[in-house]
Amino acid sequence: MPEARETLEVEGTVRELLPNALYRIELSSESRPSVTAHLAGGAGSTRLRPGDGVVVEIAPFDGGRGRIVRQR
Amino acid sequence: MSIQKSWAELQTMARAARLVIETLDLLEEAAVPGATTADLYTIARENIERAGARPAFLGYRGFPATLCASVNEEVVHGIPGTRKLREGDIIGLDLGCILDGFFGDSARTVAVGPVSGEAQQLLDTTRDALLAGIDMCRPDKRVGDIGHAVQAHAESRGYSVVREFVGHGIGTSLHEEPQVPNYGPPGRRDRLVPGMCLAIEPMVNLGTPEVEVLEDGWTAVTKDRRLSAHFEFAVAVTPHGPWILSEPYPYAEFEAEAANA
Repeated sequence: MPEARETLEVEGTVRELLPNALYRIELSSESRPSVTAHLAGGAGSTRLRPGDGVVVEIAPFDGGRGRIVRQR
Repeated sequence: MSIQKSWAELQTMARAARLVIETLDLLEEAAVPGATTADLYTIARENIERAGARPAFLGYRGFPATLCASVNEEVVHGIPGTRKLREGDIIGLDLGCILDGFFGDSARTVAVGPVSGEAQQLLDTTRDALLAGIDMCRPDKRVGDIGHAVQAHAESRGYSVVREFVGHGIGTSLHEEPQVPNYGPPGRRDRLVPGMCLAIEPMVNLGTPEVEVLEDGWTAVTKDRRLSAHFEFAVAVTPHGPWILSEPYPYAEFEAEAANA
């Protein structure tokens, strides 16, 4: 019986800077075109601009939210 | 870091693994047009209890059966019920037991009567992808090498692998460390060491890799509702290579050495 993953890492691109240090990220995954994401702790002081490539951690089955774990 | 098993513990793991395989053989025979998935569940449960073992999935995080029966576009975690099998279906049978404290866990996808060439090819490829992953279970390899081999095999045939569910360590719990994804770069994740037991289980889709979970909270289906197949063996890493625990110890010439280690 397979184990369900709690999070998945997917690649994306910064599309828009939102208030409250949030970003709109366009994902390479087909099922969810974009998520609203915040910077994870380790990536905290990074400044991102539209067009930057990032890796976002998302919950597999719900929500349009994610956390940006690193740049790529 | 996973838990390494002693030679004696591996013997118990092997008995649990064999009971699951024997039960799957019965289920494969019973998976004929007109049978319901609940019929298969009854056979599975009776056979496991007759052998003095306990069902492993029943009640696991609230799962209501000891068999996952996943038909056609269902990827995994299908709940047995009144659905009648029809000729041309494929059904994923995923079964677990607890025998003398150790877990057996194995799965295969079988054809109900004659199936399309497309379906048969998917079954063959998924099984071969599993074997490619198992071949990586050697002490000089890493967990990431397993997923990489599975993914490379499946994608070279034009299929896709599911990301949302992963294989796992197995032993005195159904799911132990580490997680074993069926994709990703080689050379990453935990180093494999002798005595590790892993349940490797590729889920391979005909179309998109994406899946969603139905309202019952369990049944995972492909997003595009095309076919999906799932095969699983529990494997021990030995100093000489992989041991599919349901099969005889494959390195007989080293058996005395292993027993004394």
